[in-house]
Amino acid sequence: MTTEVATKAALMIEDLRVAIEGKEILHGVDLAVRKGEVHALMGPNGSGKSTLASTLMGHPRYEITGGRVLLNGEDLAELSADERAKKGLFLAFQYPVAVPGVTMVNFLRLAVNGVRGQDVPVAQFRKQLLETMKLLSMDESFARRYVNEGFSGGEKKRAEILQMALLKPQVAVLDETDSGLDIDALKIVANGVNRLLGPDLGVLVITHYQRLLNYIQPHFVHVMVDGRIVRSGGSELALELEAEGYDGIAGKNGSGKEQ
Amino acid sequence: MTLQQTTGLSRAAVEAVARASADPDWLRARRLEAWAACEQTPFPTVQDEDWRRTDISGIDFDAFAPVAAPPQAVARFADLPAALRGVLAEESGRAGLVVQLDDGRYYVELDPALAAKGVVLTTLAQGVRALPQVVRGHLMTRAVRPSASKFAALHGALWSGGALLYVPPGVTIEQPILSVTWLATPQVALFPHALVVLDSAASATFIDQQVSPPGERFAALSVGVVELFPGPGSNLRYVTLSELGRGVYAFNHQQTIAERDVQLNLLAVGLGGRLTRQHVETSLVGPGANAEMLGLVFAAADQHVDYDTVQEHVAGHTTSDLLYKTALRHNARSVYSGLIRIHKDAQRSDAYQANRNLLLSDEARADSIPKLEIEANDVRCTHGATIGPVDEEQLFYLMARGLDRVHAEELIVEGFFHEVTDRIPLEGIRERIAATIAQRLRE
Repeated sequence: MTTEVATKAALMIEDLRVAIEGKEILHGVDLAVRKGEVHALMGPNGSGKSTLASTLMGHPRYEITGGRVLLNGEDLAELSADERAKKGLFLAFQYPVAVPGVTMVNFLRLAVNGVRGQDVPVAQFRKQLLETMKLLSMDESFARRYVNEGFSGGEKKRAEILQMALLKPQVAVLDETDSGLDIDALKIVANGVNRLLGPDLGVLVITHYQRLLNYIQPHFVHVMVDGRIVRSGGSELALELEAEGYDGIAGKNGSGKEQ
Repeated sequence: MTLQQTTGLSRAAVEAVARASADPDWLRARRLEAWAACEQTPFPTVQDEDWRRTDISGIDFDAFAPVAAPPQAVARFADLPAALRGVLAEESGRAGLVVQLDDGRYYVELDPALAAKGVVLTTLAQGVRALPQVVRGHLMTRAVRPSASKFAALHGALWSGGALLYVPPGVTIEQPILSVTWLATPQVALFPHALVVLDSAASATFIDQQVSPPGERFAALSVGVVELFPGPGSNLRYVTLSELGRGVYAFNHQQTIAERDVQLNLLAVGLGGRLTRQHVETSLVGPGANAEMLGLVFAAADQHVDYDTVQEHVAGHTTSDLLYKTALRHNARSVYSGLIRIHKDAQRSDAYQANRNLLLSDEARADSIPKLEIEANDVRCTHGATIGPVDEEQLFYLMARGLDRVHAEELIVEGFFHEVTDRIPLEGIRERIAATIAQRLRE
């Protein structure tokens, strides 16, 4: 990795080691995502992909034991999740959390105000919310439902992309956003993401399957096995994976074992 | 104003209160009878099963003195203390208002159209004269008797102030009636009483608010009794809103006797007090009576709250639906005990009881004790209790969206209470609760 990349990358992950309850899960991960780029991180279940996603966002259960993460050159280690969000980082959760009794509209307004650091006028917010929901084929009634409560798999993932659209991050990490979706829902979600792509956004798409990458074209593909990135390449690497499987790509390291 | 502050809880104080309010003989006799019961009953201790988790041995009851002051009307709303006017629950409109100060002053207003229909709203002391038969027939005789407990006896002897609402048959009061009790005299012992009598097919909403200066330095004792008598086919919504300061000890006994086909909606909101013991009992004595009993309690630093509820199904085809939710911060402590009692003739009854507790800190503690006494065999009875901390995953999710910890917790608490607040069709109350809790979460 060159110094030039390091200085320009919006998200810079250097030799990152992460432990949960004293057990090391990530054993030194290097990755750089620049604005305008889409990176795919692929790997079998239990390889550490979601650990990386949660760590980037600052989940208190994950302990950084070595290396560092920089967002626009700033070390994230000491920042809480809300501070990271305010600095332009977004995580689309693999398992979005239900918050009973809190309506989507109320939650989204507080989130937008929190990230922007100022209160957006209600009328302006509503207009933006309704327009964005329409793009994601979401009914207006969605805004009045409780956060993720009773949502179908597809509704949860669309709601994550809705939040991404409203919060306008500089770096977005999509953690298994394709899991649990049928092909129609997958297309809606992928279209939603594609609409947000542009020169001001860097994206890290974490996925187990190649199929999402048929709809969201990555510039780079990385393969993670057992807490390390074992291969990096262009979009053709995803096709190679599809053909040969993780075992073929990663050699004997790629056992794909569950943790 | 000079107060005739009595010396402690004594027979002399009872006599002084009876004199000050110019009691008729029957009432004076009842006070003395209650005092006799009081003298024979010791204060409960942690040895008593019902008081095992609420220790009142540290309270020096003799440090509080009842006020024996002749009732004195305040002519205009604007003449009430500004601090009190500021805390009146803001409703878009109200049908009537009773304000009772702890120095004998009171203020009453009632929509003249309702007065013309025979609705009576007064202080209870005035009610003794205005509606002697109603007061005599209901006051601490059918619902809360002085023999019920030490505190009921104390109250029976020393009550002063409070409100009387009487609604004649078939009269509907659309907008809420507000009753406000204001404690502002240091070390005062106040014994407010609310008596609500709805004749058949009448309808009313009664909001009962207890307020004192905020902060911990103001100490006072409040021993209240609430007696609700919704007659056949009537609709009664009763809300008790405690916003007492955190140096106030409050003991409250509320009982409803619901006749045939009554629709009863009860809500107990507890946001204040140093130590609060609230007994809420509902007797469904007529078939078809239907009671909703909601509770919303928020407690923080050093507060102790103890709510015990009774859902008593005396008649068949009655339903009760209870939901009490408590959120605790810092080292607050809560006790909830809920009894469902279904008499043997109360077939086809349906009782539901749920108590949910949210602990916002490791030091907070909640206990939940359900009790069932079911003598009928063809009934439905469901109960459940949960006690748990804030879900860290919820917190992380909200924070990942840019909400700081305080806002995230506030939203979780708001969501937690939503199940209750969603069922309160009084916007002013809902907003007041939300604002108070938001403020308390920042303290």
